[in-house]
Amino acid sequence: MSSFSRLHEDLDKFAMATDVPITLGGKIVIADRVVKTACPHNCYDTCGFLAYVKDEKVIKVEGDPDHPITRGHLCLKGYANVQKINSPDRVKYPMLRVGERGERKFKRISWDEAFDWMTEKLTMLRDTYGPESFCEYLYSGNREHMIKAASSRFHNLFGSSKLVGSFCLLSGAAGSYYSIGEQNVMSPEVWADKTECIFLIGRNPSFTNPHLYPFLYKATERGAKLIVVDPYLTPVGSKADIHLRPRPTTVLQMIMGMTNYIVANDLHDKDFIAEHGFGFDEFMEEVRKMPIERAAQICDMDVEQLKQAAVMYATHKTQTECGYGHQRYSNGHQTQRAVSCLAAVCGHIGKETGNLNYINHMGFPSIPGFMNAAKVAAPEGATIPKTRLINISTFAQAVLAAKDPPIKGCISYRGGLVSQQPYVSETIKAVKQLDMYVAIEQFMTDDTDYADLVLPGCHFLEQYGFHPSYWHSYFQVLVPVCQPYHEAVPDIEIWQELGRRMGFAEYFPKEDTGLDYIRWMLPDDVKLEECTSPNGPIRIPERWCPRVPYADYNFKTPSGKFEFYAQGMVERGKKFPGDWNPVPWNMDTDESPTATPELFAKYPFTLISQHPAFRTHSQGYNLPWIKEIEGPPKVFINHADANALGLKAGDKVRIANDRGELLNVLAAPTVRVRKGVAELSSGMWVKLGASVNVLTSQSVGGPRDVGVGIMDEYHPLLDGNTTAYFNTLVKIEKMQKGEKR
Amino acid sequence: MNTRHKTIYIDAKRCMNCRACETACKVENELPAGPRYIMVSEVELTIDGVDKCEFLPLSCMHCGDPACMKACPVGAISKRAEDGIVLVDKNKCIGCHQCLWACEFGAPQFGADNKMEKCNMCYQRLDLGLPTACEAACQAEAIIVGTMDQISRKLRERYSTSSREQLFLEKTDKP
Repeated sequence: MSSFSRLHEDLDKFAMATDVPITLGGKIVIADRVVKTACPHNCYDTCGFLAYVKDEKVIKVEGDPDHPITRGHLCLKGYANVQKINSPDRVKYPMLRVGERGERKFKRISWDEAFDWMTEKLTMLRDTYGPESFCEYLYSGNREHMIKAASSRFHNLFGSSKLVGSFCLLSGAAGSYYSIGEQNVMSPEVWADKTECIFLIGRNPSFTNPHLYPFLYKATERGAKLIVVDPYLTPVGSKADIHLRPRPTTVLQMIMGMTNYIVANDLHDKDFIAEHGFGFDEFMEEVRKMPIERAAQICDMDVEQLKQAAVMYATHKTQTECGYGHQRYSNGHQTQRAVSCLAAVCGHIGKETGNLNYINHMGFPSIPGFMNAAKVAAPEGATIPKTRLINISTFAQAVLAAKDPPIKGCISYRGGLVSQQPYVSETIKAVKQLDMYVAIEQFMTDDTDYADLVLPGCHFLEQYGFHPSYWHSYFQVLVPVCQPYHEAVPDIEIWQELGRRMGFAEYFPKEDTGLDYIRWMLPDDVKLEECTSPNGPIRIPERWCPRVPYADYNFKTPSGKFEFYAQGMVERGKKFPGDWNPVPWNMDTDESPTATPELFAKYPFTLISQHPAFRTHSQGYNLPWIKEIEGPPKVFINHADANALGLKAGDKVRIANDRGELLNVLAAPTVRVRKGVAELSSGMWVKLGASVNVLTSQSVGGPRDVGVGIMDEYHPLLDGNTTAYFNTLVKIEKMQKGEKR
Repeated sequence: MNTRHKTIYIDAKRCMNCRACETACKVENELPAGPRYIMVSEVELTIDGVDKCEFLPLSCMHCGDPACMKACPVGAISKRAEDGIVLVDKNKCIGCHQCLWACEFGAPQFGADNKMEKCNMCYQRLDLGLPTACEAACQAEAIIVGTMDQISRKLRERYSTSSREQLFLEKTDKP
């Protein structure tokens, strides 16, 4: 067997400057080089990033002041990368499991031994069950897309089952797509100076999109109104003119009630509807069933406040800025359909003063556009078998249900499989039945506990990447700023070596780097050098990111118009099961006080989980700087509920339902959630904190019903699917003194 | 306080609780978990039936007449004449915590060595004409560090370009 050695590139070619004096710890320190890159943690902002390196260690990071949107600022997680990349707790070398799964007993092995082990296992799986018994688990810890293209090259050649979908935002994306066609957003520098009102729904920019905030205050300080829709009292909700706080699971009804009121009061944009709308009458039939009074009752809201918001929305030139919180319910697709229709009813689309922003098509790396992953994924001359698809939003269910062949092997990386999928005990059950479970990780996470083989993964600052923002229009190639720490190997080199060892050497020549793959993925008229350190970022060409999207009102829908009645849904509904109702309707969700009253009687709290500022999903939870700010796990409940349960701040509680229980969570009585709602932030590790996913349901948003997620055909925009994390009911009880696990 | 003295101005209306100042400060000062030179406080309020949260980043105030300086029995704390920055000399500190008792804001911090340390207004950066780490990190531009004159000039500029009337005026000077 050949011996593995990783590619060792000279990285000075990316230096913006060498021997750079910087301040650090009260002294002047000379950094060997400063390199420009971008942050690929799954976030709207994709910040321009400067890293200062000394002796191949990152000693300081800063925002890139030349980035037009992120303008030299990072978030707290961005700065904390200094602690993360230098952490003594990093996985330093390959390790093979020697104990039972979950016992955390490993022995150190060499990379050659690791590759030998994987090659042997993959060969065994292929010969015993067929290549479809293998799949990867890849998500967005480092969300850059080059690796998906590179690993797909391997999977295409090998014939693995293919991982598709997202558990984040696709229900809403489908809702938006069926309404307005191709997905584009208007970058904030366009609307910030011109809009009269911002309607921010399901998004908490302080924590998940901080660079939106300067544009928000720029607009509001010159007089624009701000309406925030969020059941949780976010910081930006505190600064809003109107903060709408519907009961979780009922945003759909709230939006339909607002629409009803706007039309009933003749505040709609009749010209836009007549010239550019399709199926308005059919849409109105459903809207008429939801008078604003009824909506307010369902949503448990003050009807006067809702009326005021409806009038404000309709009578101002409004920018509709959608997040993804409102669509993490099983009716999420219809919720986003309703939001899209609300914008169209008022004509707030395709104008500098306001557009309907959901996500731009950078959110869909599998669909060719600015990125063309297929050039890497499907090499010329190779025979590529058609294989089955596995939907990531139902990953554990698919692994447990797959029969012909079963799923027996998985390489998991850039995603917390155990901590981030819903219903943790089912995920662990699924992982335990694998014969080959490899985790490429930077730290010993919940996933590595169950892995057969743990490989030291690279931090994003140690590898190449391709991550255009799904919110703004600027692009910077990610480059390694320093050599990998310890024995870490960039993910691309792991897949390349595995490819060579599995007999595909001609498709994985040793000299191809991530930069080559990125060049292939770029459009012909975009020059790689212009967007690679020391240069960049570039404005993505207008045809991929129009300055004012939909301005010509030539919508890429079946009718060429904005579709109040979605013909595309009718068409897709002929092929697959699901909720394909072509107009938004009063759809209840899977697990909720109204849909499952018997469950609600046992579990009276609706549990929602925000993405806190402290981490990207589960990443960063183990960092001392971040633990220090965040403190121990706490659950927010309303003062009234706390009083009823006899809870004071800091009392220990048990949170439980049929799926599991969390112990020793501290009660935090608050005004931030309303009565009947509990908030436990997402991303805490199962073994270190209070992982909300111990409790969350496996319910999935539509429109398509993918069952357990084993499929022959799938399209992210046509089919949607988002894990409906917030369709979760729980009970909360005070723990007795001395009670512990 | 005099006209040369620098201070850290916080616009609590703008602070959005993103906490970037906290880790940016850690990077700049190479701090471990433990001493926190700046931290954001959260306050919940209900005003006229409307629930609100307010946020306030708090660090050393670099007081005009620092109580900590008076309380220190060994003279480890001083106030720089040229810009009023309050500094502590760790070599002199005996770890008695008198400064912490005296400070109304809880600014003095103690790490593993039990010597007082705290926000030094990134004086090495200010000396080079650079903003403090927290100001540089604040995307809300809620933190402004400078003399009262400098701060007031910045705020006046800010208010002169933020007016409710401007919203509905036709802007003809833009392409």
